Amino acid sequence: MAMKPWLHGRKPGDRRVRVKRPHAQFFRYAGPGTLVARESASAPRTASGRFVARARQLLFGRPLSIHEEITERLSKVKALAIFSSDAISSSAYATEEILRVLVLAGAGALLLSLPIAAAIALLLAIVAISYRQEIHAYPSGGGDYAVARANLPAIFGLVVAAALLVDYTMTVAVSTSSAVEQVISAMPGLLDIRIEIGAVAILVIMLGNLRGLRESGNIFAVPTYLFAGMTLLIIVVGVFRIVVLGESQPPPTPLPGQPDPLQAVGFLLLIHAFASGSVALTGTEAIANGVPAFKPPESRNAATTLTVMAILLGVLFVGLTFVADSFGVVPVDEPKVRTVISQIAATIFGNDTITFYLYQGFTALILFLAANTSFNAFPRLAAILARDGYMPRQFSFRGDRLAFTSGIVILSIGAIALIVAFGGITTALIPLYSVGVFIAFSIGQTGMVRHWLAERSPGWRRRLTINGFGAVLTSIVFVVVLVAKAPSSLLVALIIPILIAMMLFINRQYRASAANLEVRDDAVIPPPRREERVIVPVPGITRAVVRAVNVGRSIAPDVRAVLISDEPEEAAELRERWERQLPDVPLVIVESPYRALVGPMLAYLDVLDRTWPEDKERPVTFVVIPEYVARRWWERLLYNQSANRLRRALIGRPRTVVVNVPYRRDDGEQPVQRAADGV
Amino acid sequence: MSDPQTLNAFSKAVLGLNGASTDGLVVHLGCQLAKQNSAELVAVHVIEVDWSHELSDEMSAENEAASAILDLAEGIAEHYRVKLSGDLLQAREVAAALVDEAVELQADAIIVGLPYRKRFGGDFEIGETIPYVFQNAPCQVIVAREPVAVANIAEPATGRRQELAMGAR
Repeated sequence: MAMKPWLHGRKPGDRRVRVKRPHAQFFRYAGPGTLVARESASAPRTASGRFVARARQLLFGRPLSIHEEITERLSKVKALAIFSSDAISSSAYATEEILRVLVLAGAGALLLSLPIAAAIALLLAIVAISYRQEIHAYPSGGGDYAVARANLPAIFGLVVAAALLVDYTMTVAVSTSSAVEQVISAMPGLLDIRIEIGAVAILVIMLGNLRGLRESGNIFAVPTYLFAGMTLLIIVVGVFRIVVLGESQPPPTPLPGQPDPLQAVGFLLLIHAFASGSVALTGTEAIANGVPAFKPPESRNAATTLTVMAILLGVLFVGLTFVADSFGVVPVDEPKVRTVISQIAATIFGNDTITFYLYQGFTALILFLAANTSFNAFPRLAAILARDGYMPRQFSFRGDRLAFTSGIVILSIGAIALIVAFGGITTALIPLYSVGVFIAFSIGQTGMVRHWLAERSPGWRRRLTINGFGAVLTSIVFVVVLVAKAPSSLLVALIIPILIAMMLFINRQYRASAANLEVRDDAVIPPPRREERVIVPVPGITRAVVRAVNVGRSIAPDVRAVLISDEPEEAAELRERWERQLPDVPLVIVESPYRALVGPMLAYLDVLDRTWPEDKERPVTFVVIPEYVARRWWERLLYNQSANRLRRALIGRPRTVVVNVPYRRDDGEQPVQRAADGV
Repeated sequence: MSDPQTLNAFSKAVLGLNGASTDGLVVHLGCQLAKQNSAELVAVHVIEVDWSHELSDEMSAENEAASAILDLAEGIAEHYRVKLSGDLLQAREVAAALVDEAVELQADAIIVGLPYRKRFGGDFEIGETIPYVFQNAPCQVIVAREPVAVANIAEPATGRRQELAMGAR
């Protein structure tokens, strides 16, 4: 510690000295033997580093400390908005997906949309009841992945994880595409740039999440509740006009699209329509994943919120389907895109009214927010998988803004790729959607059955029956969705095993390296037994070389310098000078008539190893490489190219340690330092 | 009478820390008040140098411990997201150095802790620092009282255990 000059107080004789604390700039004590790095310790020290840091700060905001993490617990009102935007927003396109299938069989088939929606709502109720039990059984959250990991063989956990990763990516692509379609329904001129709008929207959401955009209650609450409120208003007004005023409209003739007169209203058509409409269930699992985010009592609040969400979603979905059915609304793609929900809004609020545009805006907004929920879920799941050793560790690292950067970027790339590949058309993406989520539902509920069988707590038989029924039903729906949406759905069925194989491969690699690196807990580490020797590759005699030789001498007594030379005369001159100036260090000259540097050096090291007595343990070879550190970035191109090649060639060589000894130009300007180094 | 709303208002306060049990109390109180006022805190620890040493002598062991005291205060302030810097001084008189530093920093409050001694029936260790600060500080002085042992409270405690004594401005 250093002192500043004396400071005088107000009274005569009162003096004090301020003590400098050199560590205080970079660290603070957190307890005995523990230092905490301050922000300044992470600050870049070069001009280029500072420039990059400044640019990153402008783009993403200042780096956040882990102490600045928002650990706000959510009330039920906020949680409903945050966790339900994905599920509730699916009511914006689920009805449309049913109608797109039924319209193929003609106007008569459209009447079946309401019973199909009711059947899906019933399925939603069963899934919600099953998830309520999961929430109570696993209050620490984690959802189906946690349930599968705890109760089923590891592979099932991976199946759930892979299915959810695919589903989250699909959620971003589908929600964004649908949001863009809502915008296009209000502003048809944007049709030609729908892909660009979708991609830019995803990039904006990505940027927001990289900046650490949180599921801030108010950001979510306003659009979610406005959408839900206005949709409920549409349903109430619609039902009033239909039931009380007796209004109704037939579907347009001819029906849009290409109705097939030979298409019978058969079982397959119904199944197909049911499978398409089941996208309404996506997002139901979100609350079970995030139970710890609720205010205490977490489980009870989460279960209540789930019930409210399921009822709200069911009412919105069935209500919109009823209104669409009664007013003969069918999806229109030509001459301009008009989504079902935009037509319903136009019927209730009137075309080109402010309310209509507001509603379209809120619909687009809730769909973008639904995409954003995946930006929270996907990176977290990827981070859990990375911690469990099934994904690269980078996925568990948090960036400057405490966001899981790798997961966010990968999700964005995947979703944009899907939007580009499918032309940003929601209905083209839908067949790939919801396959994954039904896999997760089925395995999660099966895991719960195992959980109740193992636990046998009071009332376990009733709970087991509920989860068992849920498992059977969601498994059947999974098969139905997979078959009905084939061949597109088979793509997902192909991607999931590939992801699982990738995760298993990564896990095997990590386990193998962990086994290699493991130090037994009871082992007492003895001092090193191997002998050590030092090789210093030298191009001549310079201050950098002398410093490297001196560092080598501090490592081991057995130090030799090696010169690889294609000029015998120069080598002879160097030997004469070397023996005069560094008499204690032997110089080996390796003549290289073929002018290679790295090859002869490696060969020399191999020969040294071979000449080592076989009855002795092989030594550790330290290759000490002198390195001149240039001041400026462009100067670096002029130096150390040979050293870099040699270093790269030595990576992975057994029993070899590479030591870089930097020599800075400024070092040579300090006479004391020079003397200490013997230069 | 002063407006109770402005009694604890300050823009910069000096926290007097001495490594005793009251330090945590002082820092937490300072942070809570600073957060309300968007104020800045300076944690000051004064190492008392006896006459056997020069005032500017390197007091390594004391400095190390003192630095840790200030760093722990900074750690608490980080949790509150309040700006707090540490100031380590060597002086012959702790109280005078504390007041002089507050004057130099143009602080408008000094917060110090009053420890409670349980021995001999229990009493507050008022010492010499607090009376000196009360008499000489040109700003308000806030004293964070260490909680009194329950058995020693004459009347049933209904209010806050941690009480504030307001000094002369």
